[in-house]
Amino acid sequence: MVSIQNTTQSIRNQRRPKGYISSIATNFIHKRNPWVTAWWSCTFPGFGHISLGSYAKGFLLITWELIINVHAKINLAIIYSFTGRFELAKHALDKRWALLYAGVFVYAVFDSYRSTVDLNKFSILADREHSPIIPMKISTLEINYFDKRNPWVAEAWSILMPGAGHLYTHRLPTGFVVLVWYIMISYFSHSLECVHYSALGAFKQAIAVTDPQWMLFLPSLFGFVMYDVYVNTVEYNKLFEIEQAKFLVDNYQDPVFEMPL
Amino acid sequence: MYVLASFEYSEYLELAISELELKGIKRERILAVPLGKKTEKAKIFDTISQSDGISLIDSALILGTVFMVLGVIYGYVLKWGPIIWGLIGLIAGAVLGFIIDIIPKKKGQNNKKKVKNKTTEVVILVHCDTNQVDEVENTLMSNFALGIGRLDKRE
Repeated sequence: MVSIQNTTQSIRNQRRPKGYISSIATNFIHKRNPWVTAWWSCTFPGFGHISLGSYAKGFLLITWELIINVHAKINLAIIYSFTGRFELAKHALDKRWALLYAGVFVYAVFDSYRSTVDLNKFSILADREHSPIIPMKISTLEINYFDKRNPWVAEAWSILMPGAGHLYTHRLPTGFVVLVWYIMISYFSHSLECVHYSALGAFKQAIAVTDPQWMLFLPSLFGFVMYDVYVNTVEYNKLFEIEQAKFLVDNYQDPVFEMPL
Repeated sequence: MYVLASFEYSEYLELAISELELKGIKRERILAVPLGKKTEKAKIFDTISQSDGISLIDSALILGTVFMVLGVIYGYVLKWGPIIWGLIGLIAGAVLGFIIDIIPKKKGQNNKKKVKNKTTEVVILVHCDTNQVDEVENTLMSNFALGIGRLDKRE
């Protein structure tokens, strides 16, 4: 964090704002590694955008990807290909849908990379501009406030119940979508039954009961959720500090104060 | 008489200051100086060299996801099934990623002490009368000040 000096009134007037606080989420920009965002888009087109705070684009891409992936059976084909069963892979893909996937995938990766690079520049400008943010927002249905939260607690909740971590850090849209999505995947993939059978050692049954097409969504979901929650918590903590520092500098450094000695 | 106190950034800091104002200490007699922990050159891309905690988790989670995917895939042909191999993959990948991140840092930054204790982030000076000092100190203490000191103003 750069040392804070008493800044005069910003001349740029929120031209490059740091963030926007609504009652269901605090959406803001901060520096990130564009390759990392691009990677998350690789695991699941749309995740990169959600990580950036571009919810609208992210949800669109996710829906788009889901529909195509499930109908074209891309995940199934991936599993067959990686395990060397290439004939099965060829049969599994539905040719009516398969080619649509390429566009979604490449676009998501490209766009999230490009957006990250752009937003990094704006985040530097925003930090230099010191535009004020009100650290609390109460609306009819929800209350949101800046706070320092423990990233590991958020991680733990995300592992136990994906989506809960996001509720803890107060990013409700992501939390809600992740939760719904996780329940859907668990149900269609029969992953929880697999957990039961695996725990009992009945491995043949464990494998037989699952639907591989849906199972392969799980790693991407878990990985992304754990990453997003951690990054958000750490960055929210920083945002809290920056906002409070600015408040103190603006209000409690009166030139009339008599310095000691 | 001056009372100095150090705080972490938290709501307690604001509670302490507002309580002091309630007790009659005017705003012009309270000075707050937020401390910046380190100066940072604004780098556009590189998260990897910032030691702010996030970079440690990048590689761990990415490799964790990669290996978890592989674990789920190969779990279908191996004995233990996709779930267990998926978990093995996740943990193995995460540990690998963590190690990859930690080693260069340990080599390069041996002189950097890890401060596990709470670090001072804001310094408050309160200019008050001698009879107010105890009250001020109590207010600051009850709001989790990290340290408190007094200074007698020499005329």
